Amino acid sequence: MTLAEYFTDPILRAPSIGCMLMCMTAGVLGVVLFLQKKLLLSETVSHAAYPGALVGLIALALMGPEMEPYAFAAVLVGAFVFAWAGLKTVQFLENRFRIHADAALGFSLALFFGLGVLLTSWVQAVFPLWSNQAETLLFGQAATLTDGHLWVYGSLTAIVLTFVCLCFRPLQTLLFDRGSSAVERAVQLLLLLAIVVGIRSAGIILVAGMLIAPAVAARALARSLGPMFVWAAVFGGLSGFLGNVLTTHVRLPTGPAIVLVSTGFALLSLLVSPSRGVAFRFVRKYRFHLRCREENLLKELWKKGRMVRKGWVGFRLKQQGWVVRDGQWLHLTEDGKTKAAGIVRLHRLWELYLTEQLGVEAVRVHRSAEEMEHILTPELEERLTKVLANPEKDPHAQPIPPRRP
Amino acid sequence: MNPYSGVGFFEFFGVLLQRLFSGSSLVSDEVQLAVLCCSAVACGLVGPFVVLKKMALFANALSHTTLLGVACAFLLVGTTGGLLLGALVSALLTAAITELLGRVFRLSADASIGLVFSALFALGIVVVTVWLRNAHLGVEAVLGHADALQRSDLTLAVTLLGFNSVFVLVFHRQLALVAFDENLARTLGFSAVVWRVALFFLTALTCITAFRSVGVLVVLALLIGPYLTARLFCQRLGQLLLWTPVLGITACLIAVAASRSLLSTTGVPLSTAGILSVVIGLQFAVAATLKTLSTRRKICDTKIG
Repeated sequence: MTLAEYFTDPILRAPSIGCMLMCMTAGVLGVVLFLQKKLLLSETVSHAAYPGALVGLIALALMGPEMEPYAFAAVLVGAFVFAWAGLKTVQFLENRFRIHADAALGFSLALFFGLGVLLTSWVQAVFPLWSNQAETLLFGQAATLTDGHLWVYGSLTAIVLTFVCLCFRPLQTLLFDRGSSAVERAVQLLLLLAIVVGIRSAGIILVAGMLIAPAVAARALARSLGPMFVWAAVFGGLSGFLGNVLTTHVRLPTGPAIVLVSTGFALLSLLVSPSRGVAFRFVRKYRFHLRCREENLLKELWKKGRMVRKGWVGFRLKQQGWVVRDGQWLHLTEDGKTKAAGIVRLHRLWELYLTEQLGVEAVRVHRSAEEMEHILTPELEERLTKVLANPEKDPHAQPIPPRRP
Repeated sequence: MNPYSGVGFFEFFGVLLQRLFSGSSLVSDEVQLAVLCCSAVACGLVGPFVVLKKMALFANALSHTTLLGVACAFLLVGTTGGLLLGALVSALLTAAITELLGRVFRLSADASIGLVFSALFALGIVVVTVWLRNAHLGVEAVLGHADALQRSDLTLAVTLLGFNSVFVLVFHRQLALVAFDENLARTLGFSAVVWRVALFFLTALTCITAFRSVGVLVVLALLIGPYLTARLFCQRLGQLLLWTPVLGITACLIAVAASRSLLSTTGVPLSTAGILSVVIGLQFAVAATLKTLSTRRKICDTKIG
């Protein structure tokens, strides 16, 4: 199966395009929630939508089996009403009874989902024909999406993207400070819509995951709001598509597949993001650590003349042309001597600066200088030289090596 | 023959009282009631600390991710003890990864909880559907099987109840200290980390054990709901620790009786777990209305006076 077939094949195209659009929308809205530190609101709202979706199904079931084609619409309306009620319950508990967001979210989640469980058992007992539909709601089923659903998904995506583009400034303000309530209400409305629509493809239980992971991935890569939206949309779209591919090949339920793919993206970008990634942070740390050890060895060689030392640090110094090996002994080269003298100069300058300018006793300055010698830049060295009037002796009466051009 | 078949809501309590003093062996309704009550008390003792420590959504995440552990244990071992162990391992894993994401990756608490629980839960569902080919386990994990409880569930629930009550009775001071003010705990010479981990273990154990019998969401409802209701009227932790279990037991009694009477009158077997969480919600609603009315009257009186 080629890649293009996922977009052209009449059976495959609706699920794959639908999932992509849905996850893009969810990712973009997830960014807003992420920055407001309210990601778990999506969890509560999606669970609150469950009884609503069931109420919609039950209403249809009462009207008769010929109404089955309208199930999508009925589920949407019911789920939206209940998701809204869930959101209001959380806000009511928080504002009226001053319950912390954590407990308020948990409590309304349990209540609404409990109502959902109650209704499920009712549907199973009274309308057994519809109970399959009810179970689909829990875990999602993208494979049966049709072109008709695409119109709903497409228009929702269009609305959300237009909203984000048009209201970019107000959104920025909102994320700093909960001031502009009209925008906040609009965001909440779109969030409810996205979650309610997303239930069809990812299921009640995991629709929240569609919002969370792309936002996390985007935050790791972006430094400002605009790029973050773009990244979230890209990651959302990609994970929607790949999740759907997984579903068609391995027969996984759609919701879990999408969530696993997007979590993979999130972990990957948390690890390897150039600016905030953990991998690069560790690499930077390790390289600094290695440089410190190299410079310390150079310093020692400079003081002692020659040393017996095996291992990685010595090898690195040799590679850089600062030492030569003679039998088991390491010697400094001319370059190495200059380099080592520079480090010793920084060390002694800093010691002098601490005693003369900051009034620290001479016996206490060594440890600080041990660290600063690796950090001081040439500009700082120049300033220190100027402030200390080009000194020649450090506080321990040792000569300060002269500055090399 | 189940003596409860066909009884209404109020008759249920009559039959229950009669049978309580007759000393006959337990029937399914009574096993269900006993398991739910034990779970309610066990959750009610831990719930206040969970809410105070703002661990409610963490408990939610924990009960979701348990599915992964249970499914893996089912694949590997297949016994009840193994399942519990698997659940405990997955709870530890959840906590560890959440902590790791917060510390190493510098994610905020909500993002790390959300990421971990959705990923692990998704993995759990994948294991369940692909390897076990048993979608029912997934549904049952979420919804619980509160309507098909057995004696073994009762043993488990009683064990949990015993453990929780002893632990909370002995260590409630330390738990309260850590829940309210970790810094104070540290200055008074308690290791905040040890007690935080203890509280976490207690929560995990409660979630896991209760989850086996009553499902994810009833655990959450029992942990948070009765406490929030009790808090409307009590100010002190001691009182709260008394009233939260009492409210929980009341909710269980009402829920089981309602479930039975609905079955008698309409013939529809409704999920007792669902009814229970609705009852807990109604309890809060009634208490909140009463509280609002009484404060309003007080305000009116002071204005007139």
